[in-house]
Amino acid sequence: MCSACGFPPAAGHWTDAGGDTPQARLRIRFARAALLNELLKPLGLSARDLGSQPGIQLSNGMGQTKICQTVEDVWEQVELFKGAPFDPLASV
Amino acid sequence: MSAEENRLRLTILGGFLGAGKSTWLRHQLFVKTFDMPHVIVNEVASHAVDDTLLAGARRLDVLAGGCVCCDRKDEMIALLRRICNDRSRKQEGPQTRQLVFEMSGVADPGKVMAAIQDDQILTRHIVLEEIIVVVDALHGLEQLRSETLARAQIEAADRILIAKTDSCEKAVLANLAAALRHINPAPEFRASSFGVEEALADLPPAQAEELPELTGNDDQEPLTSLPLNLDDLSADGEIWVGLSTWLSAMLHAHGHRLVRVKGVVRTPSGRLLLQSVRKVMQAPERMPVADEGAERASDNTIVLIGRGLDPERIEASLRKTIGKTQS
Repeated sequence: MCSACGFPPAAGHWTDAGGDTPQARLRIRFARAALLNELLKPLGLSARDLGSQPGIQLSNGMGQTKICQTVEDVWEQVELFKGAPFDPLASV
Repeated sequence: MSAEENRLRLTILGGFLGAGKSTWLRHQLFVKTFDMPHVIVNEVASHAVDDTLLAGARRLDVLAGGCVCCDRKDEMIALLRRICNDRSRKQEGPQTRQLVFEMSGVADPGKVMAAIQDDQILTRHIVLEEIIVVVDALHGLEQLRSETLARAQIEAADRILIAKTDSCEKAVLANLAAALRHINPAPEFRASSFGVEEALADLPPAQAEELPELTGNDDQEPLTSLPLNLDDLSADGEIWVGLSTWLSAMLHAHGHRLVRVKGVVRTPSGRLLLQSVRKVMQAPERMPVADEGAERASDNTIVLIGRGLDPERIEASLRKTIGKTQS
């Protein structure tokens, strides 16, 4: 759509679109980091979002930590840490 | 006025899943390209989304839950006959002069055109004006390599619109244009950026690549659609974190076979339109609040269209992920 005929797109990464105030976006970031922790615990990985700076910190428990700018970067980094594809359907 | 001039002019709009058909049509309705248009939208999924985007249409009909070139062909013919009949009986007031038929992404416009021309009644009322086919600049070449249907759509085109050219390098675009011209050299080629049509930029010379032979009976699983009702998956309605995290993982891991995801999701920041093609999710659009605060029935349902989708595993995985955010 052009700027006149469409609806306004949400700013930022698409996964952040669920919050439209700074507070709501921060809540989403913390909730997402908690969820990623739950999802990645079985793989021996942990995720942390400090809130005060951009990105999600992904650690492998072996002293390695990488900063991922988006959730998509997290999945790529998970695969680099584990050396295997990450599949959300694998755990069901 | 001759009988032919008084017939309804039909524009068929085709193109593969996620090519950019609705974006183009929405802008054309906004700038009033068509004369008193009656729009028909065909969606392969049972939950239609595109109709919410086409508010500029004078009249709108939706054929959802199947493809009009095969399993919904009879319904399409019945709908077209009804439109023609209503138009014939109307004596006063403005009359529809143009039909714009947006096909589903898995429809072959050539087959639809043939079905209309085979119908003795419709040929007296409808004259085909043009078949416009929209091609995704990012994924078009890959679709031509692997999808018989994508080639059939190009073969049927009178005009080809290459969409999303702004997100594509010129060399990639040149290769795509060369392949398209090799399949069908006749059409006019134009670019479409966010629905705004423009001349295709000068491209570097490119040789049309030799596309693999496809028989139409290749060992390819059929495309299927899977609607996921998000209201069924969440007790307290807070789904955004779980849904977006899960969906990004799904697109990352299965984007090669998850051809399209679309749907309107209710979030604390309002109704968001989600649309992805392969691994690429567009920036969600903020949809207006529905009239009198009443949400549409199709809200909070996302539709996955792809190959080899396992409904039970997919639903269980999404349910598990959303559940972790609420535990």
